[in-house]
Amino acid sequence: MLQNKLALGLLALALAAPLAQAQTPPAPAAKAGASAVDPASIQALKDMGAYLQTLRRFEVTAQVTGEKVLEDGQKLQHDSSATLQVQRPNKLKAKMSSSRSERELIYDGKKATLYTPALKYFGSADAPDNIGAMVKELEAKFGIDVPLTDLFIWGTPQAPIDKIESAMNAGQELIAGAACDHHAFRQGRFDWQIWITAGDKPLPCKIVITNRADEARPQSVTLLSWNLKPAFKDSVFQFVAPKDAQPIKIRPLDAK
Amino acid sequence: MKTTVSKLLIAPLGALLLASFLIVPIADAKERGGGGGGGGARKAASGGDRNVKVNNSKTDVRSTKVRNTSVNNVNVSKNTNVNVNIDNDRRGWDDDYHPIATAAAVTATVAVTSAVIGSMVRTLPPSCVAVNHGGVIYQQCGSSWYQPQYVGSNVQYVVIAPPY
Repeated sequence: MLQNKLALGLLALALAAPLAQAQTPPAPAAKAGASAVDPASIQALKDMGAYLQTLRRFEVTAQVTGEKVLEDGQKLQHDSSATLQVQRPNKLKAKMSSSRSERELIYDGKKATLYTPALKYFGSADAPDNIGAMVKELEAKFGIDVPLTDLFIWGTPQAPIDKIESAMNAGQELIAGAACDHHAFRQGRFDWQIWITAGDKPLPCKIVITNRADEARPQSVTLLSWNLKPAFKDSVFQFVAPKDAQPIKIRPLDAK
Repeated sequence: MKTTVSKLLIAPLGALLLASFLIVPIADAKERGGGGGGGGARKAASGGDRNVKVNNSKTDVRSTKVRNTSVNNVNVSKNTNVNVNIDNDRRGWDDDYHPIATAAAVTATVAVTSAVIGSMVRTLPPSCVAVNHGGVIYQQCGSSWYQPQYVGSNVQYVVIAPPY
């Protein structure tokens, strides 16, 4: 009796299987074409960007784990951190720290100064009168990478969100105790993910970037912690050279 | 089981020991204010404590052989904006640059001939003296002269002809 039932069940399964197989394949293909970019995830990026642009004075710390790929494909991780103190539209101080070097970038609205405490060297360059333009110019002229530049690009027309090829909502996660909406994107050779604080203060809590150009897929993970009521004074944006510090020049990229 | 593990460990340890003789971590010592140390517990990453030093004297030189394609800028916009050409030579602010291989190369160059004028190095050979001449800072290392400058957000040294 039991055996009969089992046999019948198996037979039913065997019959059903090809049917099920025949029905399933077209579905994902159609879906991928039609809704690869979930407009709600793009909207979440836009909302976050708009909110970021409204912040006048804030402090944010990034804990970054990056990866590098050795010649044979083995991956190594490295940690670094950066703290940004920001007064929009034209003041910023960044402290970048890793086990190998510590650097500061101080921008007072007129000049940007790099300072390396261990070597007691500093270098200054004239800079445009707003953070977004300053970040762009330092990169273009000198190859200086300001940490968390995304924060000053998202919410502006320069944010490359129209190039996103795939976008999806991956649910909610708790990041450092806060509920964050998880969105995943694909764009060119990069996959990236962002976790955005749920609710009326859509701040980024975590960012992951995966480089698909290398088969080892090196990845960076950035955890952000925010202080929207920072205690720092305006004097943090003024670089005062320590007594024994020496000025050196910042080499332009086109120098040869 | 135990023997398997220890056998597995012996070879890499030997390589490490060998490698440590070949390595001269000059830059690390300079930037972080002296080698040694490293014994103290690392503080939670608040990015602050300058008294904590890392010791890279045991770093395997293999860890410096990084593929070109590994550069992974931690800014989304730069990676995904097709208008931005991501130059493999240009590194993100978080770059964990290993100066070891370069340091060894520079030391070797200095020992054999003198450094090539116009070339740039990330680290100085040992025994340099800082010189301020006409308001410009130089490093004199034996018969070679270097001018420190920021290249990106890192200090590098360009080899120059003696300024006087």
